[in-house]
Amino acid sequence: MSAEIGPTGSITYLEAISAALQDAMRDDDRVFLLGEDIGAFGGAFGVTTGLLDEFGEARVMDTPIAEEGFVGAAIGAAWMGERPVVELQFADFITCAFDPIVTVAAKTHWRSGQSIPITIRCPTGGGVRGGPFHSGSPEGWFVGTAGLKIVCPGTVEDAYGLLRAAIDDPDPVLYFEHKRLYRTLRADAPPTGHRTPIGPAAIARAGDDATVVTYGSGVSTALAAAALVDGDVEIVDLRTIWPLDEQTILTSIEKTSRVLVLQEASRSTGAAGVILSLIARRSFEHLDAPPALHAPPDTPVPFAPELEDGYMPSVESTAAALDQLLAY
Amino acid sequence: MPIEPCAEAPSVNADERVELFRLVLLQRLFEDRVMALYRQGRVPGSVYTGRGQEAVAAGAGLALCPDDVVAPLNRELACHFARGATTADVFRNFFGKATSPTFGRDGNMHFGAPAQGVFPLVSMLGDLVPLVAGAALAFKRRGERRVAMTFLGEGAFSVGDTHEGLNLAAVWQVPAVFVIQSNRYSYSTPVARQMVNTNIAQRIYGGWSIPAERVDGTDALAVLDTVRAAVERARNGNGPQAVEALSVRMHGHAAHDDARYMPDGMREEFAERFDPVERLAARLALDGFDSHAIQGMRDAALAEVDAGLAEAEQAPAPDPATLENGVYAAPPS
Ligand SMILES: Cc1ncc(C[n+]2csc(CCOP(=O)(O)OP(=O)(O)O)c2C)c(N)n1
Ligand SMILES: [Mg+2]
Repeated sequence: MSAEIGPTGSITYLEAISAALQDAMRDDDRVFLLGEDIGAFGGAFGVTTGLLDEFGEARVMDTPIAEEGFVGAAIGAAWMGERPVVELQFADFITCAFDPIVTVAAKTHWRSGQSIPITIRCPTGGGVRGGPFHSGSPEGWFVGTAGLKIVCPGTVEDAYGLLRAAIDDPDPVLYFEHKRLYRTLRADAPPTGHRTPIGPAAIARAGDDATVVTYGSGVSTALAAAALVDGDVEIVDLRTIWPLDEQTILTSIEKTSRVLVLQEASRSTGAAGVILSLIARRSFEHLDAPPALHAPPDTPVPFAPELEDGYMPSVESTAAALDQLLAY
Repeated sequence: MPIEPCAEAPSVNADERVELFRLVLLQRLFEDRVMALYRQGRVPGSVYTGRGQEAVAAGAGLALCPDDVVAPLNRELACHFARGATTADVFRNFFGKATSPTFGRDGNMHFGAPAQGVFPLVSMLGDLVPLVAGAALAFKRRGERRVAMTFLGEGAFSVGDTHEGLNLAAVWQVPAVFVIQSNRYSYSTPVARQMVNTNIAQRIYGGWSIPAERVDGTDALAVLDTVRAAVERARNGNGPQAVEALSVRMHGHAAHDDARYMPDGMREEFAERFDPVERLAARLALDGFDSHAIQGMRDAALAEVDAGLAEAEQAPAPDPATLENGVYAAPPS
């Protein structure tokens, strides 16, 4: 568990999430967790392993299988000033909780001044042979919903820092943690208490020839692809996909004049539509090539390895998309 | 048939009876006034009333202590008054004024008062059930002797959230109180076409093991007595409680609905004998208040409605330039 890993040790993305939960619970009694099988079992992916032992049943609550119910209940607890952190077993099950998220959590502050500080953790994404019900990237359904904040860490540091910031935040935050990154991404542990601010994007790689705008799993894919292409690529890691850090995107495109939007959500959902609309309206004069989109087709995530591997943006397919953009 | 006075209820003292009468009168007179304004075209949107159900709103509202919290629906105006809302607050919300409880961003009965522990109404039936289960969970976690209440119509009993919320409240054994407004209809659909067993109290006890009692929802004393007992059981650690209050919706679903689907004479016959305002007036008469005193209470409530309207009409309209303020408690940097 994270407690045993020193600040300079190398930890996984998953361990960074666990450590953020543990540190947040140590720092603030109002923080408690609820979700399915998160107690003794430690959650479907083991993110909450050990937390029951340290914090007890009142703060690590196994719930019945009732996403709509326990997300609604978390909102009620947040109304009373608690800081609930909900774990959905898979992000796909967020469909069952759509109503309390968009109807109750998102609108309440705007129409009453009552803040709703909930965090909803959503294990998201494909590449894990999960098939159509356990591999989705449903963040796009919430992009554009006033009152929600949506964060998608693409690094170990942000996995920790964005979760700490989400739990501190007085607004409802959807936190999309990528399942494929859980054990594949490794880095030095960020300092205890580190916060990644909600809102600002980061420049994951600076470059002059083209911009990749991406988030979540796209960050490591884009970094690897950038190393393969003949051109100096800048990578904008959005970190927060709603509300969008428009300025960082626009500034990068002003410099590079070429842009590729990369996402794992199917091409007509995710954040891409909003980003491309922004670029069409605000970057038109700066572009030397049509804005490009690299994203899966408009289908659910398929199961068979032959299908899923072709569906997901890979390092190679992303490099090819970049080559095309640079050659235009 | 003559009006049936509220039954004697020793647990409800004289001051409480007078306060209940003030609350049911305020709801009745406010709603009559806002309906008239609507017909004059002076209220945007629609108007929902709780005519026939005022005793439930007043009795349940008065059953709460100041630190308790509540999430009322459309039919519970008197509950808002019990929690300290003024007639001006509510008129401002109907008019969509800048200084309304929702800043002009929502209308009619869609409002709350966070500072008074009143959650702003959410339309989607059933949403408030898990919400109060969660508020009650917060009280239990912190060891606070507080209670969270919400109201539900029959319609909510076909919605999945209601099951999830009642189940969570029961599994967690939290201090939540559910008050069911059984008024025989959901919009135009009679209750028998929504459920096979129309005894909702029985369903709540049988289905979720939440103690549930039926009460005459037109008898304000009985409602206060029964709901207060439920609230105190919840407060004392006996888990969630429910009360099903039986009444008849004396108006259509909303101002635009003439309720022609209800049998002829049903509402009139009901009102003759069970109008909750007049039942309480008759009780007060039996208690020794003379007609002069009772008329004085009616006049005072009417004056409160008049004053609230006058005040609300002066309130400024919202400024469209402020529309995007407050989307977030902490706007991202
Ligand atoms: C989930 C949902 N579907 C539809 C509606 C529209 N609607 C508002 S009130 C109502 C009828 C509610 O009936 P009931 O629960 O019996 O309450 P009553 O109006 O009788 O007080 C309907 C259909 C809604 N608010 N929520
Ligand atoms: Mg009804």
